[in-house]
Amino acid sequence: MPQTSTSGAIPMRPFGRHDLKISALAFGGHHLGDAEDENTAVQLVHDAVDGGITFFDNCWEYHRGKSEQWMGKALKGIREKVFLMTKVCTHGRDQALAMRMLEESLRRLQTDHLDLWQVHGVTFDNDPDLFIRPGGAAEALTLAKKQGKVRFVGFTGHKDPSIHLKMLATGFPFDSVQMPLNAFDAQFRSFEQQVLPELNRRGIAALGMKPLQGHGEAIKKGAISAEDALRYAMSLPVATTITGMENSEVLRQNLRLAQGFQPMPAAEMQRVRDSVKQVAADGRFELYKLSLKFDNPEARLTHQFPLDMQQVEVKEMLAATENTGHPYPKPGK
Amino acid sequence: MGIISTSLAAQLRDGSNIPKRNLGNTGLQVSIIGLGGYHLGSAKDQNEASKIVDTALDAGINFFDNAWDYHDGRSEEWLGVALKGKRDRAVLMTKVCTHGRDKQTAMRMLEQSLDRLKTDHLDVWQIHEVIYDNDPDLIFRPNGAIEALVQAKKDGKVRFVGFTGHKDPAIHLKMLSHGFPFDTVQMPLNCFDATFRSFEEKVLPELNRRNIAALGMKSMGGSGEMVRHGAVTAAEALSYAMSLPVSVTISGMESPGVLKQNLDIARGFQPLSSAAMQSLRDRCRSEAADGRWELFKTTKKYDGDVGREQHGFPKATELPA
Repeated sequence: MPQTSTSGAIPMRPFGRHDLKISALAFGGHHLGDAEDENTAVQLVHDAVDGGITFFDNCWEYHRGKSEQWMGKALKGIREKVFLMTKVCTHGRDQALAMRMLEESLRRLQTDHLDLWQVHGVTFDNDPDLFIRPGGAAEALTLAKKQGKVRFVGFTGHKDPSIHLKMLATGFPFDSVQMPLNAFDAQFRSFEQQVLPELNRRGIAALGMKPLQGHGEAIKKGAISAEDALRYAMSLPVATTITGMENSEVLRQNLRLAQGFQPMPAAEMQRVRDSVKQVAADGRFELYKLSLKFDNPEARLTHQFPLDMQQVEVKEMLAATENTGHPYPKPGK
Repeated sequence: MGIISTSLAAQLRDGSNIPKRNLGNTGLQVSIIGLGGYHLGSAKDQNEASKIVDTALDAGINFFDNAWDYHDGRSEEWLGVALKGKRDRAVLMTKVCTHGRDKQTAMRMLEQSLDRLKTDHLDVWQIHEVIYDNDPDLIFRPNGAIEALVQAKKDGKVRFVGFTGHKDPAIHLKMLSHGFPFDTVQMPLNCFDATFRSFEEKVLPELNRRNIAALGMKSMGGSGEMVRHGAVTAAEALSYAMSLPVSVTISGMESPGVLKQNLDIARGFQPLSSAAMQSLRDRCRSEAADGRWELFKTTKKYDGDVGREQHGFPKATELPA
């Protein structure tokens, strides 16, 4: 068995080239919205902070704002203890929309500033062009930083390393970049191979996500253990690994694994990669790279891709917008 | 002499004015438009399907596409009935759906296809839906589907062999990298593909260089999506595809109306000038850039259940796109 420390603090790691540190395990915002109710969510956040997690992830479009609202409530009075990130969902739309979304996020999170603001869901091949165009979301990142509303900026996406590299090629000064990193990714359209070394070279904070491939399908089907999966991801040269913890049991397991965490030796990482090699090769456990499954409705609408009416996010969107087909905040609001 | 004089001679012979082209180096000549097998199974009934096939044959279409898994065999059955007594007038193709399974599975599927198509041989047999990143490895493994292609040819059950897929040029190139003597290769070719994960740019020149017959498909997006949503007209879309250096463009025609529309475009067809092709590419470029009209490349929407099952992916009902 791999050695797993059961005591000690969660290691703190540098946030890229900047002179500050964040916890090696981070609290995912999407799953917070899956918690049983608001009280449970608040308790989860408090327990996470007490357990040594400092990095909190969120996003404007998670559960139609519920994830941000619950996190805002939970962080009341302890805001300064955490490094707070949320994401903006322009999906190619303009700076003005991004700034309206920022105001909404700040209000829901009950704070006057974010530690990190990232462009969400850079997923389609032309998203980098739309981001960097005059009047695009890139200008919102610059403006928000100048106004002191956000300290650092970055982007995230789960689709293809080539799209991440295209974002980096725009030359925009990102502080962080988020991507799927796990033992399956290691050998299939690999962010680990193609993007991570470039971030390390540039001193950009690498934020790993989907250590359990999103919803843990591979674990349910017995392809990998949760412990191997999370330890593999946390052993990579990243600033932190973001994972969802929608109930106290998952949170407890994660804390146990992260407190006093020692990275896997190279040979053990190779063993984990080898153990999933066959099923990694066609991407069956990385549907976020191959299908629309993890693409949010706002992104699909902007790019005129079909909606999947069974998808919970689509149902939430339709309910929240009274079937208007206009999921974005209106100008002037 | 070159392709054009041969084509004219062929047209004179069969009295039609749908141009014909060489099918690579097979010695066969095929009409520039082929009848797609999937949509044939979407026709109203056998009678309508037979009428579509008859009309197509009489109009000069001689290339007929199909696949073992289309409508669970109905497409092959209907085409088999429709071609009864006319088999010799058709260049008949169908596809095998091993999706990584072995040679024996492929040979069993071949017998089923021959049975449904009521013939003792195929003109072309292709490996269907090479769309998963590891499909080339599985096909070329010892006792993989590639050995079935060799065996079937040797047995005289198929004259020529190839493969098809709609996902990514990189996967096609991986298939070609094995150096296997494919006679045909099928792929999406349309005015949006031209500037997005482009088979036209990456695969077509390689096929032309090797004199492998290029078979185009999804000229209008797979089910006419590009036309239905007003991105291009049917005439623009089909003309663009047929102007490429391909042997045939396979198009679904599930009704007499669609057949007539396509015949009107294909009769006496003159390829577009390179300037006209460039202007169409330029017009389509911005909407091509995210793949919205080529969901077969960017989503699971067009991937069949037989392949999903072999690769451990959710069914179409569970993962619609």
